[in-house]
Amino acid sequence: MKIPELALTLLQGGLGNLAAYLAAHVLLCLVPAFYIAGAMTALIPKESVTRLLGRNAPKWIAYPGAALAGSVLAVCSCTIVPLFAGIYKKGAGLGPAITFLFFAPAANILALVYTGGVIGVDLAIARLVLSLTFGIGIGMIMALIFSREDLAHDKESDALFSGRGKMRGAALVFLLILVGLLLAGTFKVGLLTNAYTQVTLPIAGTDRFQDTLYRLVPYDASRGQEGVTAQGAVLIGLLVLIGLTSWRGLNRIHEGYNAWTWIAMALVGLTLLTAAVGMSPHAGGLDLQFTGRFFGVVLALAALTWLMFKRLTKDELRDWLWESWRFVKQIFPLLVVGVFAVGVIRVLIKPEWIETLAGQNTIPGNLAGVLFGVFMYFPTLVEVPIANMFLSLGMHRGPLLAYLMADPELSLQSILMISVIIGRLKAWVYVGWVALFSALAGLIYGAWVDGTPLGLLAMYLAALMAALGLALWLVGRRNRQKMLAAEST
Amino acid sequence: MLTIKVLGSGCPNCQKLAYLAERAVEHLSVEATIEKVTDHLKIMEYNVLSTPGLVINEKLVSSGRIPSEAEITSFLTTALSEN
Repeated sequence: MKIPELALTLLQGGLGNLAAYLAAHVLLCLVPAFYIAGAMTALIPKESVTRLLGRNAPKWIAYPGAALAGSVLAVCSCTIVPLFAGIYKKGAGLGPAITFLFFAPAANILALVYTGGVIGVDLAIARLVLSLTFGIGIGMIMALIFSREDLAHDKESDALFSGRGKMRGAALVFLLILVGLLLAGTFKVGLLTNAYTQVTLPIAGTDRFQDTLYRLVPYDASRGQEGVTAQGAVLIGLLVLIGLTSWRGLNRIHEGYNAWTWIAMALVGLTLLTAAVGMSPHAGGLDLQFTGRFFGVVLALAALTWLMFKRLTKDELRDWLWESWRFVKQIFPLLVVGVFAVGVIRVLIKPEWIETLAGQNTIPGNLAGVLFGVFMYFPTLVEVPIANMFLSLGMHRGPLLAYLMADPELSLQSILMISVIIGRLKAWVYVGWVALFSALAGLIYGAWVDGTPLGLLAMYLAALMAALGLALWLVGRRNRQKMLAAEST
Repeated sequence: MLTIKVLGSGCPNCQKLAYLAERAVEHLSVEATIEKVTDHLKIMEYNVLSTPGLVINEKLVSSGRIPSEAEITSFLTTALSEN
């Protein structure tokens, strides 16, 4: 292939991938997910969770508490680092701190929703369940290995963790309706996907528009690619408008609301409604199908608007809008670049390579997935389209999960950050365990995909966790006895 | 004379808070020094679990969120009246 032709193919690959991601079903899950993440950061008082993580909290509360903190509080590094350092130095200790650190990138709402929307709900659930189990497992192992040092920890007061924030009822309802909006937009059940009424708009030429789009962005349905529909093009246009208006309306929101703020909000609503309508262009005009999904989104948006203006305080509303916008600003540009790059790279990689390397659920296959995750660093969420690319190139779902577990946990950046707080030795021991457990997670999930019964796998997992818990309890008891003996002499 | 410290590792929210604090000081036209504290260990001395945190005259007045400029102004005037 000549150079200009190759360049054109690569460019088309990148643009096609980008357009398909922005235009398709991804929008209806990703847009609400950003607002949910914002609401969690702004509306859930951190004290309501952190009080589970004090020095005197019993282990059976501290470990699940750390996991909970990881999933609801830690959507950004602003919270992850201080909270990790706080739990480790002044709170429940090394074990729960590690659990928190491990669980946060895998179980935050954005990662979970995006994995489910792009790759499949089964993989999202596997990612959640296995990260939870292994997060607690690795935390306990670390606490066991370094149990002596944990003892020597400073015995300061529990003041840091004694706060008792309570979430306001209105804020909670608001958050739940946001989750409802997400479900209404993404769930694939008959009630939501059935069309109840249909309107035909007499707009000629939409079918020709769509054909032009298909020619501009060629796609290959057999390889799991999606073309850009007319509806998709409208949505991309709306997204650009939201970006521009938000920039003017939300970026300086701490100095006051302005008209752009409300225009941006209205555009977000319009985008969600457009995405929820079924559109099929034909020669005579444009058919609009009003599905259950559409009515669900309308209901949720109405309820949200009412709560926004009548029930949330001004500060809550502002913090929510700001945090959501900050996530969009921080993550979305990287995601766009990442998705484009994935589209380009996909043209270059031969499926045979991936199939020989990780086409089967084997130990080398899973290790390959983990290794790739450790040595490559991708910004938040970009790991998901990359995983999707591997999947379409023939990677087995087991090694795929191994990669998805290892990538966000283990980047050079995060290893350096935690080694500052807990010391280099502990950091590298942690890295070793994460690599091992990620490969194990891939093997387990892969075995389930290949037909091993779920009950058997669950039993093995439960036995492993029980053994760890027992060992931790025994070592803890021995240490306490030693401490008492030391104090009495 | 007020001593203002902004706690945070340099994430966007911390920079935003520092900017708002500067503006509030300017509008009030009080004398103040603004210092950015980025060291995790120093930040923890203020018992902060999530950044950005705002400290005025060694007293923690807010953490984990960005207060509005009006809020910061009222923090500042309170601190001034206590002096």
